[in-house]
Parts: sequence; structure tokens; C-alpha cells
Amino acid sequence: MTQGFTSGVRRRQAIGLAGAVLGAASGAIPATALAQYGMGAGKAFNGAWPYDMPPTGHYNSYATGNLNLGIYYDLMEMPLGMYYWATGTWMPLMATSWETNVEKATFQVKLRQGAKWSDGSSFGSKDVVNTFMIQKLLNNVVWRYLDRIETPDDYTVNFIMAKPTTTVERYVLRMQIRPSAIYGEWANKVRDIVNKGLTSDSDEWKAVRKDLSEFRPKSQVVSGPFSIDQRSMTEAQLTLVKNASSWAAKNVTFDSITLYNGETPTVTPIVLSKEVDYATHGFPPATEKAFKDLGFRILRPPTYAGPALYFNYAKMPAIAPKAVRQAIAHAIRREIGAAAALGESAEPPKFMAGFSDRLVEKWMTPDQVAKLNRYDYNLATAESLMSGAGYKKGSDGVYVSPDGERMEYEVTVPAEFADNSALAQAVAEQLTAFGIKTAVRLITFTQLTPDTQAGNFQMVIQGWGSGNPHPHFAFVQNLVTWNTPAGAGPAMAYPLIQRVDALGGEVDLDAMVTASAQGLDKDAQKDLIARVALAYNELLPNIPQYERLGNNPAPEGFRVKGWPPVGDPIWENSPYADSFVIMLMLDGTLQAI
Amino acid sequence: MVAVSPPAPPSDTLAASVALAWYAVRSNYVLQRVVKAIVTVFAVATLTFFLVRLMPGNPIEQYIGQLIAQYGLPYSEARDQAASLFVIDLDQPMYLQYLGYIGKLAQGDLGTSIKSQGVKVTTIIVAFLPWTLFCVGISLIVSFVLGIVLGAVMAYWRGSVVDYGLTMIGSLLHSIPNYLIAMILIIFLGVRWELLPVVKMRGSMSPGIQPGFTLTFVLDVLFHATLPIITYVVTTVGTWMLTMKASTTATLEEDYVSFARAKGLSDGRIRTAYVGRNAILPLFTQFTLSIGFVFGGSVLIESIFVYRGIGQILVSAVSGRDYPVMQGCFLITTVSVVFANLLADLLYGYIDPRVRVGQ
Repeated sequence: MTQGFTSGVRRRQAIGLAGAVLGAASGAIPATALAQYGMGAGKAFNGAWPYDMPPTGHYNSYATGNLNLGIYYDLMEMPLGMYYWATGTWMPLMATSWETNVEKATFQVKLRQGAKWSDGSSFGSKDVVNTFMIQKLLNNVVWRYLDRIETPDDYTVNFIMAKPTTTVERYVLRMQIRPSAIYGEWANKVRDIVNKGLTSDSDEWKAVRKDLSEFRPKSQVVSGPFSIDQRSMTEAQLTLVKNASSWAAKNVTFDSITLYNGETPTVTPIVLSKEVDYATHGFPPATEKAFKDLGFRILRPPTYAGPALYFNYAKMPAIAPKAVRQAIAHAIRREIGAAAALGESAEPPKFMAGFSDRLVEKWMTPDQVAKLNRYDYNLATAESLMSGAGYKKGSDGVYVSPDGERMEYEVTVPAEFADNSALAQAVAEQLTAFGIKTAVRLITFTQLTPDTQAGNFQMVIQGWGSGNPHPHFAFVQNLVTWNTPAGAGPAMAYPLIQRVDALGGEVDLDAMVTASAQGLDKDAQKDLIARVALAYNELLPNIPQYERLGNNPAPEGFRVKGWPPVGDPIWENSPYADSFVIMLMLDGTLQAI
Repeated sequence: MVAVSPPAPPSDTLAASVALAWYAVRSNYVLQRVVKAIVTVFAVATLTFFLVRLMPGNPIEQYIGQLIAQYGLPYSEARDQAASLFVIDLDQPMYLQYLGYIGKLAQGDLGTSIKSQGVKVTTIIVAFLPWTLFCVGISLIVSFVLGIVLGAVMAYWRGSVVDYGLTMIGSLLHSIPNYLIAMILIIFLGVRWELLPVVKMRGSMSPGIQPGFTLTFVLDVLFHATLPIITYVVTTVGTWMLTMKASTTATLEEDYVSFARAKGLSDGRIRTAYVGRNAILPLFTQFTLSIGFVFGGSVLIESIFVYRGIGQILVSAVSGRDYPVMQGCFLITTVSVVFANLLADLLYGYIDPRVRVGQ
């Protein structure tokens, strides 16, 4: 790095000498400043994440606009654990063990002893319970299931459930624990209003929430191996420096982490300049090719979600028979749309179960999986399904329903997302060729959510699946999120009471989805998940087009070594939900050169 | 500037005061212009208030979308999280929100950010505006000076190779959007040819540099402003060049220039005292208006170079639907353009005696 820095200074001087009076300034910048705070500070890892500078950005991790830095947050205010998606096991962090007592409906967590905060205070159960008290103020979803939290001693926390569910484990273990030194008084304020019997509708509750959102700690107190060096912060970059007092510091071989600020367009040149060791930004295929040309490795972690073709049942009566949707699924070669959208980073689903293929065999038995219709591309089958349902083509080759509805529609898609636009175009062309005349309607991306909720569409490209290892959340996304009962408007207006041949009668999908996450018996949940999957597979309320994979550049050999080979189970991790980069740093696999 | 006769004074005292004020405004050119400027600012502030709220999505919906897209959260979870994080009442009737905004605005209070709650919009603007003023201000001066010199050169040697060459360059630069120049600078000078350390030049200052009146700080700031300034200058100098050329060419055709030549005055005297002074007059208004736009910064240039400024904060505010910050940024631009226009009107008479005589 010394050599690089020296040449950098010379170049600065060259700019000055070139005549730009402004550029001449560069020669006089003290080397020490850059060496101390920027690139080249010890063994560095360079990443990228967008953030806001103060006064907009701040250190209150409970308020919007904070400097939590996305996936890197886990290295500062550490969670209790992180999840290995491939094996279904956990990496213990601030917790060392945990268990669920089914009879007492209690999730008990044992905390790491001897761990310290960066201000020297001891980490313990008070920090955990205070963190969750403030989450109660913020209506965190975990409190839908919890009744209370008890702390039998300094290193044990009992989460007593009011509505037992296995999902509490993840809600609790993935929670980043905040220091009582900074937030303890806020937890006490919450206790006061809770003890008064007040609820989130009360003025006092709202006032505490408002005060908390305006609270601005002057600095960070962290439990993890890194903290933000305030002096290093500029609009362009900031540096996380090592917190030697963290129990995890010894495992991490990097002395600092420099994060470049910005979204995809501004980060791209830095990646091309080989100054970034890992970036999660969604790079377009042309940029990805440029990375490959430079010899960069492209990581393709699964996001367990992707775009699907949604229908508006209120505006398209002809789509109501499931046979029509099954025909559409057979008439679209999903590989075409996937390739057009994201190339290698789009994976068409095989099982069409409503949740990621990667999770299907973890939740369903081989017999159940065998019952899933894969909807392979087959125009003959598609046409047979249409004619079987009484649909006929008119003289112009467009299908007409038995009720006389000519099947000519629009598919709405956000114009700014090139991948979704390309997918919509591919879908529209194939449907038109099949006999369902389809035009692409581009709208600005900010209009997509309000329009979908309000039901202002015929067909729309919206998300399916979820970045949560429990399939319940994928089904909530597919069936409930953009549907009448959940939203502010009618959305897709799909009735959730349906007859499902595979299940032998009428079922209430909403009740089944809700029940699939309830209780502490995972086998019972698996059975429900399989039933919902079979129903979804048969009904196809929406049609998943592909699962999105990341296309994260990870150039090796500049500052970093140790990325695991292709096929390593760690690559099954969702890049945002349980970042493999952070886990590989913490277990020492990813190392500084 | 036709003189207006005073109306007959009404008997009622309040009405008389109003009438007197009205007369004072009608009979005073400066006062007229100031009142018009204030009314314009008020109208724009009102329009801005309603227009930003007509944009699709609100701060909570934007945040929900961000949580779903970035972290893959289920909608219900994202909605709960967003609803609890934003302490705002978007259901309040629009007219009440408007009255609250105008009432505070009259007291100089632009409100607080929605995204970063509790932080005053004025605090944000004060933190970002100086950087924009510095960078765009320098660019404007450099571009203006360079443009009028080259424009005059083109006019004096019109029809020559120099004229054709500079006209072509000026037209080309005039037509290329600034973000394209910025990307070309970064990709070719920085990434492909590695002539500039573009990664180190991002931002408005280097990590660890302490702001203050020190040579180190000033030079560092100049270093980081180099690329934005070059981009601004390159993309605006063409306009000044072509305008100055046209103006100078027209002036050269004037009778008084022919008369000066006939009198045998030196070329140097004709260029400066007769042509230059008069040719630059039409550019004065344009320059003054450009000063107004300096306050608005440049959304694209500041974003591409990650340069601290109003443009950058506006992008962030628009994407997060931070209404008060958006309103504050638009208001600053409006006020500066309106008052730059006012300044141009008021000063023009002093610069061009012919206008003063007309008044």
C-alpha cells in the first residue's frame, strides 16, 4: 500500500503541474492524513455501502437516517447470532447457547460471559432486555408473540411467549444488542409507560417514541470488533477501526474496513479501479462483464426472492380459472426472461412451490416434492388447458374467454429497474405469441407500490419469496402482501378460500399460512408448509419468473484472501439477511493479505 | 416606467394606510420589484408544498419499499418497522399541513427533516450549501471569464480557422450534458488511462483533514473540487463563448465602432472601450441569473462525484420523500434566482446608462 500511496501523491502533483491551478492543491496534502484515515490504514478491507453524512446521518441505531451501514452493522452492535442457511445452524455471537422449553413456551438464551462494550462496561442480560424493551416501543414484530422477558441472572434471558412460534428464535437471535450505557434510560422510560398500562396509541407512548427518534448519541459504544472512526468520515468514504476490547477482535485479521459511500453508478468506477473487495450493489450485466474482464470473481448468493407475474383478479375475470394460469405458466419459457433480465444471476424456479427451490427439500418430503407440477415450457399442454377451460382463439389469434372477454392486457413494470423491464418484455412477447396479447406499461418505480396496493394494474411484476429461512414469510409475500386483506387497497383481489384438488377440497389459504408459523412443533409446521406449497403449485395465484441471485464482485488478491470455493455451503446464505462476508470475517476464513 | 397619479385619500384610516402603501409601491420601481419578488417566492413555496406531496409514494412507503428490496423483509414486517420509525402524521388534512408550513416559514423556520428526525432543515442546508456555493461559484466565474475572452476572440477573428475551431468546440460543449462529461472524466481519465486518482478525488475533502483556515485544508478542498469544477466549466463555457461571439459581432457592426475606426483610434482602445464594454452588456443579465442558480447546485454532478452540496442532499431527500428538506432546497433555489433577477433589474440601469436615461 505504501507504494500505491506514493504514486498517488505524485499523481496529485502532476495534476497541479498540468496547469489547473485547482489541481495544484493536491501536492500539499499531508501524506499522514491519508495514511492514517483512508485507504492503506493497516490491513484493510474495502467495501461499499450508501450512508448519509451528519447532520443527516447519526449514531442512533433506533432512528431512521442512522449510520448502521447495512451488513456491516453486525460488526459493531453485534447480534446474538447469525444463521447458516445451508445447514440450519447458528454462529453464536453475543449468545453462546439457547433452547426452547415447549411446555413453558419459553425461549432461553445464555449470553457470552466476559464480553465488554467499547466503553469498558460489561455486556450482560440488562443490555438484551433493554434492547427488546425499546423494540416494544417501536412495535417490533417479535412483540406480537412475546408476553414478557425475564433475566434470572446477568447472563440468562428468558423470552416468554404469549403466542408460541418457532420464528421467535430468529427474531431474538438476529437482534443487534444495543448498549445500556447509551439506551438504558430509554428502556426505563418504556418500562414506565408499559407499567402504567399505556399502549402505542397513547400520547405519552408517542411522545417517548418521538423523543427517541430525535435522540443523537455523540459517539458509538460497540460490542463488535469495529466502530466508526468519526474523523475518517467524508461524503466519499468512512473507515471502521478495530475495537480491540471486543471478544471477536482476535478472530478478525483486518485492522480496518473502509466503506465507500454511494449507489451503483458512483461505486462502479471504484470497483473497476480495484479498490473494492466486495460490493452488494446490483450491477447491470454490462458492468458485470467488465468486472469479469478484469478477472474479478463474481459471487452469486441467493436472495430467496425474485419477480413474479401477478394478476389483478378484479380486472381480469378471464384469469380466474386456475387452468388459464397453469396454461400461462406452461406458455412462458422462464429461462428467456431470466437471461434477459440478469443473465447468470437469475435462476428460474424448478419446483414452483412458492418459496425458494433451495429450501423446498428442507421443508417437504420427497413424496410431496414429487407431486409438484414443474410447469415446464410446453405450448401443446398450454393450448390444451385453454381449450379444456372453454377458451378459443379469435380470428386475430387472441384468446377469448367463454364469457366473451378478449384476452388483451398490460403488464406494469417499474421503468427504472432494467432487469424487471427486460423480464416484462420477454413475458409480454411470449404471452402475445401464445394468444394473450400483452403490452408492457412502464411506470416510475415509486408508483409501483401505491399502484399495486390500489389495484391499478392488470398484470404487474412484483416480488415473490422472502429473505427469511422460514417459508411462511414467502407465502405471506405471495398470497397476503399484495392482496385485499393485508393492503390499503384491493391489490390483486385474489380470494384466499379456494378448492384445491391436491388437498382434496376447499381450503382457507390465509388461515393455513398464518398457522404455518405458529407453535413450537416444527414437524407440524412442515406439514402445513407442504400443504400450502401444494395448493400454491396447483393454483398459481401468481407465477414466479426467477429467483434473484446476487452478482457481487469479489476481486481476490489485492487486500483479501480466503474466499471459499464455489459449492461451499456458506454461499447458500442470503447476502443481506445473514451476510457471509461478515461471518467469514468473524470466523477468520476471510483474511487480510 | 410611467408615473402613476396618487389616488384620492380615503377617509377610513386603515383604508388610507393601505392606499398609501399601494401608492408607495406603485410609484417606487425598486419597491415594486421587491414586492413582486416576495410574491413570486410565496407562490413558488406554495406550489412546491403541494407538488412534492403529489409525487407517488410517501416517506413511509418509500422506506417500506427500501426494506423489502434491500433486506428482503416481508411487507407486514417492513410496514410495522417503518410505521414505528417515522413519527409523522401524514393523515393530517393537507390545508392544515400547509398552514403550519407557511406559518413557520414566515418565522424563518423551514421545519425538521422526516428522514433524520429532529434535525432542522436549516441546519442541513447550512451544512451543505457552502460547498455548493464554493464549487459552482468558482466554476461560474472561470467559465464566464473564459467564455467572454474566447467569444471575443472568435468575433474579432470571425471567418478564420480560430473562429471555426472555437465555434465548433463551443457548440459541442454547449450540447453535451454535464453528467456525460463527468462520467467520461471518471471512466477514461480515472479508470481506463489511470491519469487521475479518481477514487481519492471523490468527496469534498480527504479523510482526516480538519476543516479550518489552513493551507492544507484549502489545498485539499481545491483538490477535491477539481473534477466538479472542470465538469461545470467544460459544459457551460460553450454557452458563454457563443453568446459573447454573437454579441461582439453585433457590436462590431455598430456605427459608433465604424466612427471610432474612422477617427483613427487604436485597435486596442476600440476593443476595450467601444466593443468589449458594450458587447458584454447582454451577458450581464444571464450572468446574474446564473449566480442565482449557483445556490441550486447540480444534482447530477454532485451525485456523480459524491461532492457535498445541496444537489446531493436534494437527491437523497427526493428518493426518501423527505418533504421538508425538498421544500427547503427548492426554496433556496427559488429565493436565490428571484433575487438574482431582482438584482439584475436594479443594477442594469447603473451599468447601461442608456437604460438609466430611458427610466
